[in-house]
Amino acid sequence: MLTKKRAHIFLSCVASLFVFSLLFALPTTGYTAGVGKDGTIAAQKGKATTLDELIAMYDSSSCYDCHGDKHEEWSQSVHARSVYGTGRTAATFRTAFLNGFMDWAYSGVESPEDVEVEHLMGCAKCHLPQLADATDDVAKELVATVFDWMDAYMEDDMETFEKHQETLLQLNINCLVCHNRMAITHKWTDGYPQDGVVYGFNEGFHPDDHFTEMKPSPILDESIFCGQCHGLGPNLELDNPTQCATAYGSHLWSYVANGGDKSCQQCHIHESGLGHNMQSYRSQVMADKAVDWKVKVRPMVWRDARSVHPKVMIDVALTNNAGHGIPDG
Amino acid sequence: MPVPEKFGRDDIMGRGPYEKSGMVADTALHPLKTAKEHFEITLDAAEDGDERTLDLKVQLWYLPYGTMDSDPFLWKEYTETVTIKL
Repeated sequence: MLTKKRAHIFLSCVASLFVFSLLFALPTTGYTAGVGKDGTIAAQKGKATTLDELIAMYDSSSCYDCHGDKHEEWSQSVHARSVYGTGRTAATFRTAFLNGFMDWAYSGVESPEDVEVEHLMGCAKCHLPQLADATDDVAKELVATVFDWMDAYMEDDMETFEKHQETLLQLNINCLVCHNRMAITHKWTDGYPQDGVVYGFNEGFHPDDHFTEMKPSPILDESIFCGQCHGLGPNLELDNPTQCATAYGSHLWSYVANGGDKSCQQCHIHESGLGHNMQSYRSQVMADKAVDWKVKVRPMVWRDARSVHPKVMIDVALTNNAGHGIPDG
Repeated sequence: MPVPEKFGRDDIMGRGPYEKSGMVADTALHPLKTAKEHFEITLDAAEDGDERTLDLKVQLWYLPYGTMDSDPFLWKEYTETVTIKL
C-alpha cells in the first residue's frame, strides 16, 4: 500500500533521478567527449545530406588561386582520385558491396537502400574519410552512383558514364582533408581542427573569405599523419574489419626497428622533389630511390660425365631503401 | 608480397580489402634489408673450342594483381652480353 510517507520517498527518488539524468544529459559541446568538437567543419555545417553537399563541404577550389603550383602537383597524385583511382578503386566499392555487405549474414544489407555510412567506412576511412560527416542518404547515393557508373559503361552510355565519373572524381583527399580534417591526430591534446582554419606550419592571418586563420599542425610533417590512412593492418575499430594498406605498420615495426629514421614526407615530398604529387613505384624517381639492384653475372663451363656445357650463374641482390615493405601502400 | 588472411583466420588468402585481415605470409622486400636471388642457366652441350654468346636480360617485375595479365610493372632491368669459351 502506498502510504503518504512512501509516496513522498518515491516522488523524491523520481525527482532525484530526473535531476541526475538531466545533469548527464546537459551537453558540454553538443557532441560526445572532447572540447571544441562543435567547431569542426562538419559540426559547423551540419552533416551533408547529398554527395553534392559533401563535395561542397570540403570544397578546396579557393585554395587554387594562391597555391596553383601545389594544386597542379596534387592533381597528378592518386590523392586527387582517391575514390575513382584508375576506375578499379571505384569498382572495388561495388565489389565490396556485392561480395561483402550483401553476402554477409549480419551486415543488415540486402539491397543498396540498406547501406549506411558505417558500412562504407571500411573503404571510406581512407579513400573518403569525410564520408563520416555525411548522412546515410549520402552512403546510399554513393553506392547508387558507382552502380550507375558501371552500368553506363557496360551499356556504352558514355554521357551517363562521364557524368558519374565526374562526381566520383570530385570525391578525394584534397587540401581541406589534409590541412584541416585530418591535420590533428591527438584532439584532446592539441584540440579539434576548427572550421575556418588552415593547418600547416605557420600561424596568423590567412587571406581567404572563409578560411581566415593559419595554425600549425603538430603532425603534418610526421609519419603518423600519413599513418592515419596508410595503415597498421586490420582496422579493428570497425565492426567488420578491413585491411588495405599496411605501410605504416611496416614503417614502425620493420623500418624504424631496423634503424630507419626518415619520415614518409621526407622521401615522398621533399627528397623526391615531387612535393604534393605524392607517388609510389610508378614514378621513376620513387622506383629508383626505393630499390638498389645489383646483378652479378658469372659465366663458366660446366662438366658432367661426358659432356661440357656453357653455363651462367646470376646473383641478384635487392635492397629496399624505402621506409616500408615493398609492395605495400 | 604481403599475403593477407581472409577474415583473420586459417591459411586462406583474402582478396578484396573488405575480407582481408591479418597475414598468412609476407614475402615482401622488407625495409633496409637485402634479398638475394641466385639463378643458374645451363646451355646445351658444346664441344671444346666452341664459343657461345648469350644476351642476358634480368628483370624485376611487380605484379600488383599477381599475374602478368593485369597491370604488370617493370621495376628494374639489367642486360649484359656474355661470351663463354669452351
